[in-house]
Amino acid sequence: MGAEFSRGRLARLRDLQNPDGGWGYFPGRHSWLEPTCYALLALFPDSISPARPQDRESWLRGWNYVRSLQNPDGGWRPSAGVAAASWASALALHLHLLRGVTDESFRQGIGWLLKLRGTEGGLLERAIATVWKGAVEYDRRFKGWPWVPDTSSWIEPTAHTLLVLKKALRRGESAGVPVDLCRARIEEAENMILDRRSPDGGWNYGNRRVKNVDLPSYPETTAVALLGLQGRPEADLTRAIALAKRYFTQTRSRLARAWLAISLQNYGLEVALEECGPSNDILVTALEAIAFPQGGHQWLTPVS
Amino acid sequence: MADPCILGGRQAACLISRRQLPVAGLALAAGCSKVPPRPKARVFIAKAAHYNVDLVSLLERGIEACGLEVHGKRVLLKPNLVEFDSSTAINTNVAVIAAALEVFRKKGAASVVVAEGPGHRRDTIFLAEEARYRSEIEKFEELFVDLNRDDVSSVRPFATLPEIFLPRTALAADLIVSLAKMKTHHWAGATLSMKNLFGLVPGSVYGWPKNILHRIGITRSILELNRVFRNTFAIVDGIVAMEGNGPIQGTPKAAGVLVMGSDLPAVDATCCRMMDISPDSIEYLRLAEDLGQTSESQIEQCGETLASVKTTFRRA
Repeated sequence: MGAEFSRGRLARLRDLQNPDGGWGYFPGRHSWLEPTCYALLALFPDSISPARPQDRESWLRGWNYVRSLQNPDGGWRPSAGVAAASWASALALHLHLLRGVTDESFRQGIGWLLKLRGTEGGLLERAIATVWKGAVEYDRRFKGWPWVPDTSSWIEPTAHTLLVLKKALRRGESAGVPVDLCRARIEEAENMILDRRSPDGGWNYGNRRVKNVDLPSYPETTAVALLGLQGRPEADLTRAIALAKRYFTQTRSRLARAWLAISLQNYGLEVALEECGPSNDILVTALEAIAFPQGGHQWLTPVS
Repeated sequence: MADPCILGGRQAACLISRRQLPVAGLALAAGCSKVPPRPKARVFIAKAAHYNVDLVSLLERGIEACGLEVHGKRVLLKPNLVEFDSSTAINTNVAVIAAALEVFRKKGAASVVVAEGPGHRRDTIFLAEEARYRSEIEKFEELFVDLNRDDVSSVRPFATLPEIFLPRTALAADLIVSLAKMKTHHWAGATLSMKNLFGLVPGSVYGWPKNILHRIGITRSILELNRVFRNTFAIVDGIVAMEGNGPIQGTPKAAGVLVMGSDLPAVDATCCRMMDISPDSIEYLRLAEDLGQTSESQIEQCGETLASVKTTFRRA
């Protein structure tokens, strides 16, 4: 994938920024937190270049939009019109770390994420599972993060949250991160992801087996799960990485290919998206820009 | 794909239903004198041995038989696009969608869009491509709305939630056509036109899958969505349906039918009878008395007879 490919995507992102500073999922639509965070991640290198003051101004408008979505309890709303905070709070915190901002807003956000947990495995469910064996098989000791509060843990929100907590952990107590709790939640969530791995070595959305039937993995969830597991050296991810490589050559999903490219590069593999036309999907556009070898995928590692 | 808390969610729904049953029974008993008797629901069954038959004519006959007014309406065609696996029949076949597009346009709809919010895969346009929607429907991307990522508005209340956010495109439609796939479902028993409305709930707010609906309870969520969206028409694609471990991992079942009607519970109850599944065994149909007819005596069958298309579907 050439530099032109990346520049084209970044230019398109700049063109599609909404007047409120955010980005919608599609051109001309309301701004949402998720595409805004990924657009800002893609545009971050240009925003810190002294040669591009206009890009800095555009980036700061996006940043201010993100900051405006935080609720008093510390979580971030997925969009201005939706009151309840969601999983995408992890993405907002990611931007804080990227900018080196560990203020009260950051600390409240970390606190909100650490309080949030999947609600599966309650007493009633365990009682039923005893009777109805094989309905849903997973280790009930391990929970991760849900998409929205009061629901179960799923692979994707868990992986995104893991990544940001691992980065936050490196900032330590001085940034207001409760280190022990953070470490415990990371370990539990990694165990949850490893426990729910599909028999083929990758990941489905939440489970490996339902009603005594194995579930297949998917390219995008496998890529995102691998991102969340970065920095867990004792986990044997050989099969998962091999599967991700295979998915990268096979899938026609642009979203999945972008995630796979980001993930595989962060595991040290050289992969490149092939040239393709612009997408109407702003999230895909941003992720393709990030997947560019110098496009910012390295910020989606725990050590960045 | 599947829900790790489905037991909790479903059981919660069962408990709520059981708790509510005596109250609901009393309310029904007390209220039955005030509620005018609901007219019989008309359900049209068409035989179609394969997707190459003249589906446009069949749909036109069904729509006319059911007395559906289309002229001037903003129509949203809601297929069942969940996942793609070339070895089975998960999604509404593209031929049915293309035929519906043509028919609703011919009948003078003000606008017709195709809209869906898949519950599992996030790349909707990729799914649409795999399912051949993109290649076989002209200007598909101009017609298509990804309901998972549409602008949203609040609807209050929704079951146990103070509010739910729903796609503006769906809320603004004058008519939602539930272009469902006829499938057995490993949790709900059967997924037909009523459950197809799950795809109207946006992933951008609730995630992939829309686990909040399972937490509320599958049955309750189906009923509530059907209470929110009342201007609906059902076209169930049972030409090649799915049996066994549906809605994703089942096997194709050539049932050779299209089932249509404005009363979604009646359409779904008819589909169940055709599939040799008792509608009374499907909780959401048992509890759908305020939404439509499910009793065979209250359904006016037209087109093909039920007996002529009945075939046993293997369940999970």
